[in-house]
Amino acid sequence: MSSKSAQAASTGTTATRNRVSFTRRHFLRGLGACVALPALESLLPANLLAGTAPESGLATTTTGAPLRTAFVYFPNGAIPAAWWPEAEGSGFQPSRTLQPLAARQNQIQVIGGLDHLNAQPGPDGGGDHARANGTFLTGVRMKKSATNIHAGISIDQAIARQVGNLTRFPSLELTCDAGRNTGACDSGYSCAYQYNLAWSSPNTPMTPEGSPRQVFERLFGAGGPGERVANARRRRQEQSSILDFVMQDARSFQKRLGGRDQDKLDQYLTGVRELETRIQKAEQLGEIKDPMVPTPAAIPVDYTQHIQLMYDILLLAFQTDATRVATLLLAHDGSNRSFADIGIPEGHHDLSHHQNNPEKIEKITNIDLFYVQQFAKFLEKMSLIKDLDGHSLLYNSMIVYGGGNADGNRHTHVNLPILLAGAGGGTLTPGRFVKHGGKPATNLFLSLADRMGVNPLERFGDSSGRLATI
Amino acid sequence: MMAMICAGAWTWNGPLPAAEMPAAAEFNQQVRPMLEDFCYDCHGNGENRGGVALDAFNSVTNFYDARDVWWRVLKNLRANLMPPARKSQPTLAQKEVIEQWIKRYVFELDPLNPDPGHVTLRRLNRVEYQNTIRDLLGVDYDARGVFPPDDTGHGFDNIGEVLTLSPMLLEKYLVAAEKIIGQAVPTTARVVPEQVIGGDEFHGATDARVANGGPLSLSYYVPAQVTNRFHAARAGAYQLQVDLMVNEKYVDGVFDYNKCRVAFRVDGKALLSREFSWEGGRPYHFNYDLNWGAGDHPMDFSLQPLTPGMEQTRTLSLQITSVTVRGPTAKEAGVRPKNYTRYFPHPIPKSAAARRDYARGLLGDFARHAFRRPVDADTTDRLAGLAESVYVQPGKTFEAGVAEAMVAVLASPRFIFREEQVAPAGDGQKYPLVDEYALASRLSYFLWSSMPDEELFQQAAAGTLRQNLQPQLARMLADKRAAALEQNFVGQWLQSRDIETVAIDARSVLGREQKFDPQQEAAGKRFRQLNDRPEDALTPAEKAELANARTVFFRSFRKSPRVDLTPEVRRAMRQETEYVFAYILREDRCLLELLDGDYTFVNEPLARHYGITNVFGPEMRRVTLPPDSPRGGILTEGTVLAVTSNPTRTSPVKRGVFILDNILGTPALPPPPNIPPLEDAAKNLTNRAPTLRETLAVHRENPLCASCHDQMDPLGLALENFNAMGMWRDREFEQPIDPSGQLVTGEKFSNIKELKRVLVQHHAEDFYRTLTQKLLTYALGRGLDYYDVETVDQIVARLEASGGKPSALLEGIVESAPFQKTRWDQTAAAGDNTKGRL
Repeated sequence: MSSKSAQAASTGTTATRNRVSFTRRHFLRGLGACVALPALESLLPANLLAGTAPESGLATTTTGAPLRTAFVYFPNGAIPAAWWPEAEGSGFQPSRTLQPLAARQNQIQVIGGLDHLNAQPGPDGGGDHARANGTFLTGVRMKKSATNIHAGISIDQAIARQVGNLTRFPSLELTCDAGRNTGACDSGYSCAYQYNLAWSSPNTPMTPEGSPRQVFERLFGAGGPGERVANARRRRQEQSSILDFVMQDARSFQKRLGGRDQDKLDQYLTGVRELETRIQKAEQLGEIKDPMVPTPAAIPVDYTQHIQLMYDILLLAFQTDATRVATLLLAHDGSNRSFADIGIPEGHHDLSHHQNNPEKIEKITNIDLFYVQQFAKFLEKMSLIKDLDGHSLLYNSMIVYGGGNADGNRHTHVNLPILLAGAGGGTLTPGRFVKHGGKPATNLFLSLADRMGVNPLERFGDSSGRLATI
Repeated sequence: MMAMICAGAWTWNGPLPAAEMPAAAEFNQQVRPMLEDFCYDCHGNGENRGGVALDAFNSVTNFYDARDVWWRVLKNLRANLMPPARKSQPTLAQKEVIEQWIKRYVFELDPLNPDPGHVTLRRLNRVEYQNTIRDLLGVDYDARGVFPPDDTGHGFDNIGEVLTLSPMLLEKYLVAAEKIIGQAVPTTARVVPEQVIGGDEFHGATDARVANGGPLSLSYYVPAQVTNRFHAARAGAYQLQVDLMVNEKYVDGVFDYNKCRVAFRVDGKALLSREFSWEGGRPYHFNYDLNWGAGDHPMDFSLQPLTPGMEQTRTLSLQITSVTVRGPTAKEAGVRPKNYTRYFPHPIPKSAAARRDYARGLLGDFARHAFRRPVDADTTDRLAGLAESVYVQPGKTFEAGVAEAMVAVLASPRFIFREEQVAPAGDGQKYPLVDEYALASRLSYFLWSSMPDEELFQQAAAGTLRQNLQPQLARMLADKRAAALEQNFVGQWLQSRDIETVAIDARSVLGREQKFDPQQEAAGKRFRQLNDRPEDALTPAEKAELANARTVFFRSFRKSPRVDLTPEVRRAMRQETEYVFAYILREDRCLLELLDGDYTFVNEPLARHYGITNVFGPEMRRVTLPPDSPRGGILTEGTVLAVTSNPTRTSPVKRGVFILDNILGTPALPPPPNIPPLEDAAKNLTNRAPTLRETLAVHRENPLCASCHDQMDPLGLALENFNAMGMWRDREFEQPIDPSGQLVTGEKFSNIKELKRVLVQHHAEDFYRTLTQKLLTYALGRGLDYYDVETVDQIVARLEASGGKPSALLEGIVESAPFQKTRWDQTAAAGDNTKGRL
C-alpha cells in the first residue's frame, strides 16, 4: 500500500517522485553501459600495474588483477531457522532467506559457527546492540561510556594500513543509515559505537558517508560527466598550498595543548597527511577515470534506492580501482526502521524481539529477505563486470555480508549469520556451507587479511588462529 | 583518611593525620548510625542488594575512592528512591547530614573553589559550523547536507570528547572552505554588470499581477504574449541568457500530446522560435549575443497552441524562469562585484611591499574573527606570504591571492576547533579563569551556537566582558540568534528534532481505536497471507478468496477520515515545543510551566489535529487552554508523544523512560540481558486484543521486572489517552483507557492532569536539578561528574530562591566555576608566551 499514489504532482514542478526516479533511471542506464563494457581497461588508470606490485602480492591476485575486500553489515540478526541451509557441504540448498542468492550459489560460502564473544554481556550489563555493532569488525570489547569512547582498530583499517597506498583512497566507508536520532543510545554506550563500523584507532571512528552524491563527488570529482577529471585536478592543485599552511598551523597549535586535546589534533594531522598522500598519488597514477554517468542525487527517500545506489557506488569504486577496501553499514544495530514499502510498518528492532510470536517472526524473516535481495542484486552486477584478467569483479573480491547479532530476539552473538561472497582471486573455495563449530569471527578476518597480502598479523581482536577451510 | 574503630571489614595502618579527626568523629557519631538504621538491612552486614554494600570496602582508600558508589547513594537519596518507600525513611535533616558528609568528605568538594573539570578540545559541530560561516561571511552553506552527522554523548552533539575528526571530514572541511570563499569573496575588481529579470516581470496586456522576480507559467493550451522592457544605460556588447522549463501535472496512465510554439523576440526580432511538446520536466537554456545601443529594448515571449482540440490531460505548461542580461561586456564598462568593498575596502597599492602590508592587514583582521581571538604576527606573515605566492603568478589577481589565504584560514584547526587560553592573571593557579576571548566564545556557542559578534569581541578586547556578564547575557538572549537554544538544546533534550523524520503509521495507530470487527480482522489476516504469495502460485479458488478479502478489508479504510502526521503538522509540532520554551525563557516565567502550563502554541493544522477549536491561519500563536483540557506542558506536546512511540502504537515504557530521563533525572537501568518471554496477556481474551495496560501488567507480576517497570510503566500509562500521533482518545480496542497510577515514590494520581500536579508539587526540585544538569552539559560540552555536584546544587538553590525563573538558571550557569574556569594542565608545554591550557 504505497502512499506515493496519493501524491499527485504539485503545481509548477514535476512530482518529486518523478525527479528521483528520473535520476535513478539515468544512473542505472549509465551503469548498464558500464556493465556492458567488455574490458575494464577504460576505467582503470593507465599505469595500474605500476602501482600494484604483483611481486609482493599486496592486494593482487595471482593473475595480476586487484584483489578487493568489503564488509557489509545488516542489523538485528536474522531468524536462524530461515537463514541456515539444511545440510552442510558443497552444492548446498539455499535456505528461505538466502533464496535470492540461488543463482550465485557457487560464488558464495555460508559460514556457520563463528562467534563474537566480546559482544556478549559481561559485568558491563546491557547494550547488546552497541556491542554487536562495535565488535563486529574490531573483535574487542567496547568500553562502556557515553563519552569516553574506546574500541579497537577494525580489520578493514588494519588491511588498509598496508594496502591503502596502492590506490587513491586507502579505504571507503559507506552507510545507508544517514539520519541520526537524538537522545541517548544503547544502555550507556556512546552512539559512536552504533553508527560506525570502521575504526582506524581505538578512539577514532571512520565516519561513514551516507549521501550517494557526496561519495560520488569525493571519488570522481564534482561536475557533470567529462568535467570531473579537470575539476578534480584543479582542486588537488589548490589544496597543496593550503595543506602546507595548515600543517604548520596545526603543529604549533598542538604544542600549546595537553593530553587528550593533543589527540584531537592528531586526528586532524592524520587527515591532512592522508590528503597530501592522495594528492601525490594522483600525480603519480593520474586522476580516477570518469565513469561517465550522471552524478547521483543526494539521499533518496526510498530506502531500496538508497541501498542500491550505495552498492552501485561501491562497485564503481572497485571497478575504477579507487580503493580495494570498503565497509558498508546498511543500518546500525538496533535500527528501528519501518519497512512500510514491503508491508511492514512496525519497527525492525521492535519486531526482532518477537517473543516467539509467529506473525512477528514472519515479518522479520521478510526483512532479512529484503536485505539479502539487495545484496543479491549487487553480487549479480559484480559478477557481470569483467576484470583485468578476464575473471569477473566478484571473482577477484572477498565480500563479507553479516551481522553482530545472531538471534535478535535473545541477543546472542554466537553462530553469527555470515556469508562470504567472491572467490578471492582463486584463493577461496565458494559454493559451500561450512560449520566451524564455535570459532572467533576474527579468525575469518585474519584469513582474509592474509590473502590481501598483509604482513602476517599475529592476532586480531580475540582471534585464536586462522580459519582453515574458507 | 578516617579512623576505623569498629568491628567491621576495615583495617587501617599508621597514625591518623590531624585533619582527618573531625571527619572521623562526624562519620562515626552521625552518619554511620544512620547508614546502619536505614541502609544496612540490604546494603550492609553481609547483604549487597543490587551489588551495593556500604560497609564492605577492605581499606580506607577504597572507601573514599568508591566515588561512583557514593554518588549513586546521593542521587537515590535525593530522588527519594532509597530507602524504598516501604521501609522506614530518614527525616529531611538526617538526609541533609548524609548528603553534606558525602559532598565534603567523600567528594572533597570545596564550595568556595569547585573543580571546574576539563572539557576536551571541541571542534565545531555541523550546526555550529553552518552558523559560524553565516555570521563570519554571510554565506549560507549547507553543512547539514554535506557533513556527516556528529556523534553524540549524553544526548547532545556538542560534546568535545565525542566529536572526532575522520580524514573524510577533514577533506570536506577543505572542500567547504574553497566553496564558501569562492562564493563570498570576489577575485576580480570589476565584473560584467548582470541583471536577472524574473519570469513574472513579463506582463501581458491586461494583467495586473505584482511581480516579485519569480518564474511565470504559461499554459500550453492558451495563447499568450508577455512583454518587458530593458533599459541599457550604455551601448555595447551584451549577452542574454533565457532560462525556461517545461512542467506538467503527472497523471498515471495517460499521456499528453499537446504542442505549442514559443517565440522570444528582442527589439521586434525573433531570436527563438521553437516547438515544444511533452518534455518531462526539462530545463532549457538559450544564450544570445547582441549589440545594443543605449536606451530601451523591448522583449517579449509569445506562446501559440498548435493542437487545439486535443485532449488536455496533464496540464502542460512552459515556465519562464528568468532572462539574464549581462553587459556591456567591454572591460571599461565593468562594475564592482557584490561585496567587493566589504573585503577590499581600499584601492590595491602598486608596490610589492605595500601590497604585502595591505594583504597582512586584511588577513589579520579576517583571521582574528575566524579564530575568535587575537592572532600572532607570525601567522599573519605566513598568510600574507601565501597570498603573495598566488598573486605573483601570471594571470592571478591580488584579490585571488587574498582569497586563497582566506581558504587556508577556514581550513586551519584554529577555526575548526575552539582554542581556549587562560586569563593572564591565572598563571599557576590550579583552577584559573579562562581568558575573555574564550569566555566570549563559550557564551556565544552556548546561546547562539555561533561565533561571538562584534560587541562581544570589543568587550573581550577591552577586558570588560566578565564584569558585564549579566547585561551581555540579557542582550544575547534577546537577539534572534538565541533561537539556536530552542533548536539545538530543546531539540535534543526533548528530542523535538526527530519529529520531522519519526516513522508513524497512521493506519495502524488509528486502527487500535476502531471498533473490533472480527470479520474485518480475519479478512485482513487472510488478505495479507494470500497477497504475500506470488500471483501465479494461487489456485483459482484462492484468487477469488483474495479478491473477496481485499474488498472486505479495504472497506474499513474508505470509512475512516484521512488523518496523518503530515509534514505541516510535524513542523508545527516542532515549533510548538520550541515556542513554549522560548516563551518561558523570554518572559522569564516559572520553569514549572514546562510541566503544567495552561497554554500552548498552535496553528490551524495543529489545532485541528489536537481538536482545539477556533484557531485559523498558518501562523503559530499562543492559545490559552480551557481549564479542563488535559494538554499543557511538555508531556502533552505532540513531539514528545510521537517520538516516544513505536511506528504502529504508543509505548508506555518509552514514555516512562523519557520522563525518568528528562524530567525526573532518575533514569531506569537498562534492561538486563536474557529477558524471559512475557506470558501472553491475550490468552484469556477471546474476542479482542489486550490493551497495553493489560499487557504491561504482566511486568509487575515478576519482581525481577517490577523493580524497574514500577518506575516506568505508571508514567507512560498516564499518557495512554494520547495516541502515537499525539491525538486524544478515550478507548483502545474498545476498552476505556485507565490513566491512573502511582509513582514509585508513593504519590497517586488518577489522570494526566493530576500527574502533572504531582510533579509540580512533589518533584519540582528533581525537575530543576535535571534541567540544570542537561543545560550545564550542553553549555560546557562535557558530561557531568561527581565534582560537579556542588555547582549543580548551587544553581538549583538559586533557581528555587528565584521561584523557578530561567534567568536565574542561565545566570547560574554562566557564572559557575566550570563555565568560567578550567583546570591547569602542567603537562602542556608553554611555548613562547602562550599559556599552557588544558
